[in-house]
Amino acid sequence: MSRVHDMGGRFGDGAVVPEPEDEIFHADWHARALALTLASGSLGKWNIDVSRHMRECLSPQDYTAFSYYEKWMGGLANLLVSTGVMTRDELAGKTTAQISELAEKKLTADQVAGAMARGGPADRESKIAPVFEIGDTVMTRRIAENVLVSGGHTRLPNYAAGAQGRILRYHGTHVLPDSNAHGLGEAPEPLYAVIFPAAELWQHPEHPRDEVVLDLWQSYLEPA
Amino acid sequence: MVVVENTPDTHNIVVCTLCSCYPWPLLGIPPGWYKSDAYRARVVREPRKVLSDFGVTLDEDTSVRVWDSTAEVRYLVLPMRPAGTEGMSEEALMDLVSRDSMVGTAIATVPV
Repeated sequence: MSRVHDMGGRFGDGAVVPEPEDEIFHADWHARALALTLASGSLGKWNIDVSRHMRECLSPQDYTAFSYYEKWMGGLANLLVSTGVMTRDELAGKTTAQISELAEKKLTADQVAGAMARGGPADRESKIAPVFEIGDTVMTRRIAENVLVSGGHTRLPNYAAGAQGRILRYHGTHVLPDSNAHGLGEAPEPLYAVIFPAAELWQHPEHPRDEVVLDLWQSYLEPA
Repeated sequence: MVVVENTPDTHNIVVCTLCSCYPWPLLGIPPGWYKSDAYRARVVREPRKVLSDFGVTLDEDTSVRVWDSTAEVRYLVLPMRPAGTEGMSEEALMDLVSRDSMVGTAIATVPV
């Protein structure tokens, strides 16, 4: 069983509420929360998989109650403290923060556009050769859990566990989040787009020809 | 970045059920609905009902292919060219393409 963030296919949520395309932030602090999160990432103390896992580790009660950027701030506060960038007392304003040795890594305004454009490419060279070809039938892991770390980060959603699909595309070799989120190295391996008939995933699919595609790492898959 | 093309047979929709992965460099910061629990939970299982929240109805013959962005590969939907636009210039056609149509929750239409 997975964590609260793994909600694909869940029942009970209400309507999706469309918004005008120029409506980006719903409060001024949302933009600051986004900026603070991206700027903190540039300190180089963690990677994208660590930061995702930190948000996923919020308690189910908090994850459900928090707004999107509250989740980001909750995850970021935990990251800053767990990596030693700040102490809890500094975060709480109880002590005056000292000048950090990380100050020289500060993201300045003129660097933002470049950093955003670079993004975080995850394709890496790997010694692991692809074992599947386009069109091959594959089976996903029966249990959507990290096999390296109990309760660890994984990108196999629960709804697609133990499901039979077909290799649709080969993306090359990519960083394995299950490893990279836990300080176990990038461990790049082949990544595929795998296509599943909706009827393989849901008891009552809307249409007999509907399909769902997920990007899945080779170690998530077995030949079927 | 992978671009997936809508056709009369297949309509594509992009989601990230596990977080909020989105083609930022092209589309900017994702809208609130894209990051909402309702969209993340529902669109993989009942895409037509979610499309109806956006006022979109597909032909009965059109199947839906939902792309769940579980890795760092980003997906962008190429909307289907609306009927009757054969004579329109590239620039005029650009006006018909909305952000939502490149996520798959809208279709490109000619304003009446």
